[in-house]
Amino acid sequence: MEWKLFADLAEAADGRRVTVEVDGGATVGDALDALLEARPALADRVLDDEGDLRDHINVLRNGENVFTADGLDTELEEGDELALFPPVSGG
Amino acid sequence: MQVLSLVGSDAAEVAARLVPRLDGRVATVDRLPETDSGAKMPGTAASFGLAPNGSWVGAGADRSLSDLLDALAAEYDFALLTGFSGVRLPTAVVGEVDVDGDSADSASTGGVPEDALLVAESADAVDLDDLARRLDDAEPHVTLDSLVRAIKGSPRADRAGAIATFTGRVRAKDGDDDPRTVRLEFEKYEGVAEERAEAIRRDLRERDGVEEVLLHHRTGVVEDGEDIVFVVVLAGHRTEAFRAVEDGINRLKDEVPIFKKETTVDGEFWVHDRP
Repeated sequence: MEWKLFADLAEAADGRRVTVEVDGGATVGDALDALLEARPALADRVLDDEGDLRDHINVLRNGENVFTADGLDTELEEGDELALFPPVSGG
Repeated sequence: MQVLSLVGSDAAEVAARLVPRLDGRVATVDRLPETDSGAKMPGTAASFGLAPNGSWVGAGADRSLSDLLDALAAEYDFALLTGFSGVRLPTAVVGEVDVDGDSADSASTGGVPEDALLVAESADAVDLDDLARRLDDAEPHVTLDSLVRAIKGSPRADRAGAIATFTGRVRAKDGDDDPRTVRLEFEKYEGVAEERAEAIRRDLRERDGVEEVLLHHRTGVVEDGEDIVFVVVLAGHRTEAFRAVEDGINRLKDEVPIFKKETTVDGEFWVHDRP
């Protein structure tokens, strides 16, 4: 499963693309855990003191915000595209 | 308008071979040595000649490459540049590059950018269809004028009595003591950014009285004073045009995954990290 990272999150992870291994039936949360385990500096950036994802961090699966539906419990499917980014700041 | 800067000893040959493969109106711009303006009457900035059949010639003084591209963008679909080294534009390098040559306008790359669309040993080694495709996919040169002109050409223009626009540009200072902003750099989530922008465009266009909507946001480096983003609305009357422009830029800033890194005279930072 490949994560796409943007802005300071790509800098913290030292890369815009990070591939993680997850088992069949894994969720977005599982893929996030695998990502943050592989890139601890990124974990410091996106998790709060309780270890929860900070409110302003966006998680997208195939271009859709996962928090509008099942959130981190969303089950992954083969070939999904995952993305993690800070608040948008265009314009 | 798609812009291609061709450099190297075979640049002109590749430009000539590429033209028939491009779908649209093509302009070429050749690098000239330092020269007199060519304006015919002393004291004037430019001279033009126009024939009854529409043929014309022009010459003048005091024009930068970016000014010229801005002017061409409203009228042409492609601009092929030959002989300009070290410019920050989609570039093809063909043949030998004279590294000791004109480097006065070369920023730092010495004429061969790392992200060149194409590097080939000779004109014969260039896959022209592939180059044409890469050029179509490259970042276009868009100006407010080019969007206004395009929207006036809409099939729905007959119903429209108003065009309203918004232009977002690089603000050098927020206050007297604010360290001056030198440039912004925008990163985009390719694919998703276009989908979100298209959804906004579609929503606005479905409104009563709104005939057409165009949105454009530049990516990469945008210097102090340059334009960043445009929203252009063609509508029946001014009220719906103004509303759609305001809602369009607000939604674009809220919803489209684009990220801004600001460089000031004091340093650089991601804008979302600052209050």
